[in-house]
Amino acid sequence: MQPCSREMQAMNSLLSPTQQIPLQDLQPNGNSGTHQAQIHNPQFDPTSSHDDFLDQMLSTLPSCPWSDLKSPWDPPKSDETPPSNHDNNVGFHYDEILASKLRQHQINGGGGGTTAAMKMMMQQQMMLPGRLIAAAGGGGLTMPLHNDIVDGSSFKSPNQQGGEGSVQALYNGFGAGSLHGTNNQSPNQPQHFHHPQGGNMQTQSFGATAGTVMNQSQASGSTTGGAPAQLKQRVRARRGQATDPHSIAERLRRERIAERMKALQELVPNANKTDKASMLDEIIDYVKFLQLQVKVLSMSRLGGAAAVAPLVADMPSEGGDCVQTTAGGGGSLQRNSNGNQPSANNDSLTVTEHQVAKLMEEDMGSAMQYLQGKGLCLMPISLATAISTATCHSRNPMINKGSSSNHPLLQSNGDGPSSPSMSVLTVQSATMGNGGLDGSAKDAASVSKP
Amino acid sequence: MNNPHHLNPTSLKSRFTTRFLRALTKIRAQKPISSSSPTEIFRRYRRIKVAADKSMAYSVRSRRIWSRAMLWKLRSRSYRRQDPCSGRRSGKTNQAIMKKSSNENTTTRREDGVGFVEEADELRQLVPGGETMNLCNLLDETAHYIKCLTTQLFSPIGKG
Repeated sequence: MQPCSREMQAMNSLLSPTQQIPLQDLQPNGNSGTHQAQIHNPQFDPTSSHDDFLDQMLSTLPSCPWSDLKSPWDPPKSDETPPSNHDNNVGFHYDEILASKLRQHQINGGGGGTTAAMKMMMQQQMMLPGRLIAAAGGGGLTMPLHNDIVDGSSFKSPNQQGGEGSVQALYNGFGAGSLHGTNNQSPNQPQHFHHPQGGNMQTQSFGATAGTVMNQSQASGSTTGGAPAQLKQRVRARRGQATDPHSIAERLRRERIAERMKALQELVPNANKTDKASMLDEIIDYVKFLQLQVKVLSMSRLGGAAAVAPLVADMPSEGGDCVQTTAGGGGSLQRNSNGNQPSANNDSLTVTEHQVAKLMEEDMGSAMQYLQGKGLCLMPISLATAISTATCHSRNPMINKGSSSNHPLLQSNGDGPSSPSMSVLTVQSATMGNGGLDGSAKDAASVSKP
Repeated sequence: MNNPHHLNPTSLKSRFTTRFLRALTKIRAQKPISSSSPTEIFRRYRRIKVAADKSMAYSVRSRRIWSRAMLWKLRSRSYRRQDPCSGRRSGKTNQAIMKKSSNENTTTRREDGVGFVEEADELRQLVPGGETMNLCNLLDETAHYIKCLTTQLFSPIGKG
């Protein structure tokens, strides 16, 4: 599995030079050959003495000056992937430098060193803009943070047994901020990486919900807090039982609002939001959707042999949106929506689009009639997204979507979407009762089909 | 459901359905579907939509603020169409009614203390007559309005 992000590629390239050496040096018996697989394999098996590897790297680092770095990088290994993304920022270059430096040390087998030198290197790495990957600095000990957890594990595991204290020190030196605090050298590194992120996100979301709860509790708390501040003789009211009439009224009002919100929650679909603001947004979208459907239904209720004609819907109520919709007669539309629609594929729709665009330039009426013949109608995408987001379950009337510009977006199939980026609705009579919304418009602004 | 609403003669659904049916048949009887010019079609569409709104509002009568507001809008529109002068008259009386309801329900722009001003304002624009309601009543009206809208949409009246 190839890494897709830049960091992954960087890590990969860094891993390859650094890992090969220990593999060759320290694992003569072990997992040779598939270095790439090893890199990505979280079950990287430190069968041999990786302690030696760690000590070697740690010891040999400080003795080598920085100027020597460039030389060992010149003769790359045969199967080593040179860092392909040179367009990255400077930090990556430093990664290479560190990697090469480590290799050189390993090759030379220098004398002793301390973790302080490693820390220094790490901190130098940290100061590089934007790039917190100092994999080479740790000899594969430290991780490129939030993204590369798999590599992190592969990095970590060789060094678990030996030199844990030094690795821990490296970690701490490397940057608690990016790594979400100090990490334990535990076998389940990936989970540990996940947990801080998940924990952060969870705390954030919890903070959001707690915030709303806190607002309410604070308000009630303030009521109780107000009472003792006034007079000492007054009995301190219990929490939620403030004696101040204003606060009582306030509380009553809030309770009424809360119970009305609950009643609304049952009416509106997708009402599983805990946040009041998002619940209100859902309600708003749903009301808009219902009003829109009423409009469309009344159009389809025109009924009879009225073949189709362009309708310019009320501009003022739409707030400036030019809604051009066509609605076929109930019978004809019924036929269309049941008939050959499922056979529509992308090609025919593209052709239809072009056709309608051409027709629109000359005469709106003919364009609309053409649409009607196919059982389509036009709508602004904003309204269509309102429909598609408002509800996902079956609704009786379905409306085709297009744009109010000269590029209608058409899809005629009411039963099965041929493209997930468009939502398709066809006007149906209420008696049909088998409407359904398919897909959802991902991009409200885009008109062309993907 | 074991008791379908439309069998209950006094339910909202049955009231709406009968009224709407009446209005629709009247419209269909009025005008043969002759011309397919855009304006004609649009006029018909408007008529049907107005009929739907009217039936809904009349089914609810004045029990709800939104129905009152809707009825006022429909009446003022029809008055304006018929007689430009009478628009002022009806407007005044209806505005008196609206002001009364607004006094009951406190001022229009009001910080509700729960921090949902933008959403509440948007909801006020959607629900007819919502500008004069405080959040509590607004939610109440919204619930009833949604209920009526769904009744209208799921009514068994076909379109053929």
